[in-house]
Amino acid sequence: MKQLVLVVILVLILITSLVKNSTKEIEDQIFVINENTRPLKSELEDVLLEFNYLSSPEKLVQYQTQYFEKDLIKIEIMNIKEIIENNETLEINDLISKNSNE
Amino acid sequence: MNNKKNIILEEYENEFSYKKSKTNLDIQFNRIAFIFFVFLMISVIYSIQLLHLGSLKAENNKEFLTINKNHRADILDRNGNYLVKTVKSIDIGINPIEVIDKKKLLINLQLIFPDKNYAEITKKLKKNKFFYFEKKISSDNYEKIMLLGDKSIKSEEKLTRIYPQKNLFSHIIGQIDDDNKGISGLEKSFNEKLKQTNEPLKLTVDTDIQFLIREELVKFQSIFRSKGSTAILMNVNNGEIISMVSYPDFDLNKREKIVDVNFINRATKGVYELGSVFKTFTVAAGLEEGLIDTDTEFLNLEKKLQCGKSSISEYDNKIPSDLTVEQILIRSGNIGSVRIGQKLEIIKLKAFLEKIGILSKINFDIEEVGEPIPFKWGKCKLATVSFGHGIATTPLQLAKAYAIISNGGFDVEPSLIKSELKKNQKKKRIIKAGISEKINPILRKIVTTKEGTAGLVNIEGYEVGGKTGTAQKTIVGGYSKAKVNTFAGIFPASNPKYVLIVLLDEPKTSSDYIYEYKNKKGSYKGTPFNTAGWTSVEVAGKIIETIGPILATKYIEN
Repeated sequence: MKQLVLVVILVLILITSLVKNSTKEIEDQIFVINENTRPLKSELEDVLLEFNYLSSPEKLVQYQTQYFEKDLIKIEIMNIKEIIENNETLEINDLISKNSNE
Repeated sequence: MNNKKNIILEEYENEFSYKKSKTNLDIQFNRIAFIFFVFLMISVIYSIQLLHLGSLKAENNKEFLTINKNHRADILDRNGNYLVKTVKSIDIGINPIEVIDKKKLLINLQLIFPDKNYAEITKKLKKNKFFYFEKKISSDNYEKIMLLGDKSIKSEEKLTRIYPQKNLFSHIIGQIDDDNKGISGLEKSFNEKLKQTNEPLKLTVDTDIQFLIREELVKFQSIFRSKGSTAILMNVNNGEIISMVSYPDFDLNKREKIVDVNFINRATKGVYELGSVFKTFTVAAGLEEGLIDTDTEFLNLEKKLQCGKSSISEYDNKIPSDLTVEQILIRSGNIGSVRIGQKLEIIKLKAFLEKIGILSKINFDIEEVGEPIPFKWGKCKLATVSFGHGIATTPLQLAKAYAIISNGGFDVEPSLIKSELKKNQKKKRIIKAGISEKINPILRKIVTTKEGTAGLVNIEGYEVGGKTGTAQKTIVGGYSKAKVNTFAGIFPASNPKYVLIVLLDEPKTSSDYIYEYKNKKGSYKGTPFNTAGWTSVEVAGKIIETIGPILATKYIEN
């Protein structure tokens, strides 16, 4: 009886340490991956923020007046066409039907 | 004498002798077993704890974030653009008490930061009090200063909110205080969520459209010299707010304390008498109750009505005496609207206005929401409410009501938060089927016919429909000369997708502005009348002309 209890306890201690060891390894791997991705995530966020700032409508309007004043023209909605792919043929329609406006 | 006293010690074995326990219990074994039992229990508890930690997923670590004071989630627009970004900055301080060699430290600091005033820093070092040496230090300099390895150099991580769109969303986003606590806008109403979650908060607003609408409001602010203005663009089917601008606004990056009431969020907090835009509700209520139809005739309509001490008259004296319901709405007839209101009676009109969310405070994503001014219903009140006077509400509630009336009668909850759940929610019809089909063509005729008051918004390709409202501003004991000019529009009128509200607060006429007619050829210089038809309708027309191509192409599948 005594031996059995001792064996059970030892086995439990052994299993516990094995489980702990294996999770420790996984934890280490996770930690390393997290640490490696952290600067990348941060860099991505910073780049996105910079992109958002530089491509903000305010900046785009500024670039338009600064560099493309004569090159960019406004297209009337009635002149915008819609391309529809139909059984290997392309159909070009008005985006807004001319008679939809009564 | 031999008196010897002998002391005899007797052994009383039975009474005092130590006896081993007569039971079969082995105490020595039990001690060992007990210790092992304790170890066993510790092992079991430890194993359970290990298994529990192993089962935790990375995203379930919310509880750890609650204690992180330096965390606040970002806010994005519907296209994933940053509206608010949290950036962690580091401030460097020096605790002079811990400095070992002040001369050496100063030399090292001079090498890294040659431009600083070291006479001032030397003074601070002598005072032996903690001071900030460099705020928001760059990562390069942070690395260099920490490599000095001086214990007196302390780094402190701080949270900074960056608003790349500056003024654009100031009223929607709101501000935070120095303790990372939201004090207005979404920052306040979503304070806990922003602190606890890693996921950014995604909004329904579109930065490009918001910018273009704001540009038009700013432009017309100088033309009509109004005190302020607001515009709301909302999806009529799901209540998603694509744009909500209130002008004047403020740059969130400056973190100013706003005390001037002119900076209030006019779209949600401003409570106004909106005038004739309410006539649409009177007609819709009459149709809902089956008391009128669009071709129901009202004959011999007076030009003036007396109600108590005040009189109700037509704005346009040329308005015919015999009008159908449709003509009453198109020509914005006050007396005709009063007659429809009288047919409805107080209970039915009140119930309809309550149903479309005009009379009570709206439940919205931000806390800065105005409460419609309560009033006592009576015969005169019924008459004035029928044509939109003596009743005040917010532009946001007006947008909601127009959305319900034009979308087939389905309830909508205006929202700033993009939610996938809302997409799948079943719509609840609160107005009978067929009412929108009757109202929308009339709203369209207000824009297309010469009798209509909103011809300037008839932009080709967008099928705009809508109603104008010109109201005098209320002051204590009456009305002032200042006006609130409103346009409530829907487009495309045949199958409405958007509702657009444009409100100008106290606009003035412009003598230089040139109007381009939409329903006929030619132009007109100067504002002939300070009415919604010549002010807010023109602004709405320019807005739709500018944002229309984006809505028609980018939102084609939405």
